[in-house]
Amino acid sequence: MDASLDAHEFRVLAEEQASLRRVATLVARGATQHEVFSSVTEEVGKLLPVDFAILGRFEPDDMIGTVASWSATGDAFPVGTRWPLDGNNTVSMVFRTGRPVRIDDYDDASGNIGDEGRERGYRSTAGAPIIVEGRLWGAIAIGSASNDSVMPPETERQLVSFTELAASAIANAESRAELAQLVEEQAALRRVATLVAHGVSPTEVFAAVTEEVGKLLPVEYATLWEYEPVGMATHVATWGTVAIPWQPGDRVAVGGKNLLTLVFESGHSAHMSNFADATDAFGEFLPSSIHARAASATPIVVESHLWGVIVAGSVGGRQLPADTEARLADFTELVAAAIANTESRTELIASRARIAAAADETRRQIERDLHDGTQQQLVSLILELRAAQSTTPQVDELRAQLGRMALGLDDVLEELREISRGIHPALLSKSGLNSALKALGRRAAVPVEFDLRSNERLPAPIEVAAYYVVSEALTNAVKHANASAVSIKLEVCRGVLLLAIRDDGIGGADPSLGSGLLGLTDRLDALGGRLLISSVPHQGTSLMVEIPIETRVVMAAERRDS
Amino acid sequence: MENDPVSRSAVSGVTGEAATRLVVADDDVLLREGIASLFDRSGFDVVGQAGDEADVLALVRATRPDVAIVDIRMPPAFATEGLRVARIIREELPDTAIVVLSAHVEVDEAMELLATGERLGYLLKSRVTDVAEFIDTVRRISAGACVVDPSLVQELVHARRRRDPLDALSPRELEVLSRMAEGASNAGIADRIFVSEGTIEKHVRSILFKLDLPESASDHRRVLAVLRYLEAR
Repeated sequence: MDASLDAHEFRVLAEEQASLRRVATLVARGATQHEVFSSVTEEVGKLLPVDFAILGRFEPDDMIGTVASWSATGDAFPVGTRWPLDGNNTVSMVFRTGRPVRIDDYDDASGNIGDEGRERGYRSTAGAPIIVEGRLWGAIAIGSASNDSVMPPETERQLVSFTELAASAIANAESRAELAQLVEEQAALRRVATLVAHGVSPTEVFAAVTEEVGKLLPVEYATLWEYEPVGMATHVATWGTVAIPWQPGDRVAVGGKNLLTLVFESGHSAHMSNFADATDAFGEFLPSSIHARAASATPIVVESHLWGVIVAGSVGGRQLPADTEARLADFTELVAAAIANTESRTELIASRARIAAAADETRRQIERDLHDGTQQQLVSLILELRAAQSTTPQVDELRAQLGRMALGLDDVLEELREISRGIHPALLSKSGLNSALKALGRRAAVPVEFDLRSNERLPAPIEVAAYYVVSEALTNAVKHANASAVSIKLEVCRGVLLLAIRDDGIGGADPSLGSGLLGLTDRLDALGGRLLISSVPHQGTSLMVEIPIETRVVMAAERRDS
Repeated sequence: MENDPVSRSAVSGVTGEAATRLVVADDDVLLREGIASLFDRSGFDVVGQAGDEADVLALVRATRPDVAIVDIRMPPAFATEGLRVARIIREELPDTAIVVLSAHVEVDEAMELLATGERLGYLLKSRVTDVAEFIDTVRRISAGACVVDPSLVQELVHARRRRDPLDALSPRELEVLSRMAEGASNAGIADRIFVSEGTIEKHVRSILFKLDLPESASDHRRVLAVLRYLEAR
């Protein structure tokens, strides 16, 4: 060929360059894949020129989905149409060979796509693969309806120039999507980590984890289960866009063929592409109630013991991406950290509760010893003195002396009774909180009005804590607040003991200054309770105490102790 | 007698009548012996001693004493066995006077005990050391009175109330009210504060009127009514 280009050739080349530049500019600008693909099909169609251009993506089940489509006559293949890759046609051949192909006489074409092309009257076609980072991603195909023309020889080269641009747009978009996903995942992990660090209740962490996992992956549901020692699993939390049939606390047996059991037995992640094979409660309930399809499960390992499992799944026909388990695993580490945190906090709280209970028991014992031992002995001694006094009638001086001794011992006895009452209120264990509080009120130096709305006996540590809080509050009301009246309200509401103590004193108490109440916060902490002080100058002082009567945390601690 | 504090010999009462028969129940042997010896010396006939709930019930059923002195806290559970003993004795042998002794006195227990009937006493254990007073109290209970430990009454009377109806009483009336709550009869109160019984009757009527309390047919009812009033006011 002559080295100099003729005018026609030059124009073709210039058009081609201009066309490629327009697409390249779009790619460089980071336009959406959709914009790039539409532009590619249109530019290719106009440049070559042909009657149609179509760009499709190969799908896992030997299908191609139409991603962009252009037609000179306006009747383009609809975007979204899926075709099976059967027979011999441009697209199926690109799929099989991974190379550019051409069919100069479309009568030879077969398969679904071939039949459709013939129906549309195409005579000659050509196609080229779209290869993204070494993988066959999709194909571009063009066709002409004119009877006399075959595609010029440079057609494949031209197509490849465009598919390379399309591929780089796809690679760009994919890495951007990957980055976006990574950012999203990091944000979700950080949100959960913040909750863990703030020491919120495990229930909240579990709810947050299932929600974050569910939205991030995304899956239709994410559900968290704790394994129990007895071959059962307890449902802890679930998030879902579908109605999941379990409530927190529901239990199912571990066994059969399902993800709960697979993870329990292997200690590793597991995947099920179709719930149709699953058995037993966990395997059968989900597909029947929500049409569960595929699911992945990852173990939660707390301090090297298998604590539980998180299961994330799809419904209907959707499969899960291959990296689902790996992404779940990132979260399970956080869940494990939250559980480990809570467990050590629970240990701490339980040990504080044990210390407080031991101290209470010691005081109770001392009080009993004083009453049954020391006081009784004193009474006996005084009686003996009295006896001696009555049997020595002749010696007045001795009798008087004995009498004085007996009186002195009476005083000791009285003092001892006061002391032992301070050490432990015997009335509390005997008659309960209400009686003991009323007795405190009677002995107080200010009028105390009671509004006692519950009379149930509560666990001893709770009664003791409430008693000491009221005792301390009454002391403060008299000693520091100059109160002229105190009102005390007690009620049990939804499993929580609520105690409100208000005085009409000077207010302005600084809770950080040596109040005996501070010493009680440890005791309340140990019970999972809390104390709020509100003390505005000239508006009196209010104490609000909340003590949960039963808490999950304490129960968990007891379970471990037993 | 000093050498034999456990003597059970029936000593005649001062009046020459048959001595009041009495049992003592307390798990503390030393104290029990001390109390028994005290009664022995004072002209009572101590017909038996017991150390726990079952023993004292058996003893009372066997000996049918005039008075049972019972520790509130005894085996088996060291709780309020004395109150239960009192209830059972009251049902089976209603004429038996019962004195319950306790290391500390509480209003709920007093009410529970007094609700079972007459001839009852609820006293701090340390009251026994004021021998003359204690013996006198037990005699009164044996004769039909109800007695509540003065320290409990004082606690109730002195409890502060924002709008205290007791503020309407004169100091003398407050004293009379306290004696009423302790279980003293009008004559007893009169003796104690050196005025005539008629004067006490006037005080009592005035108190009942001011506090809007009903007249009571018996001292026992009066004690209960006053205690209940003091606790609930």
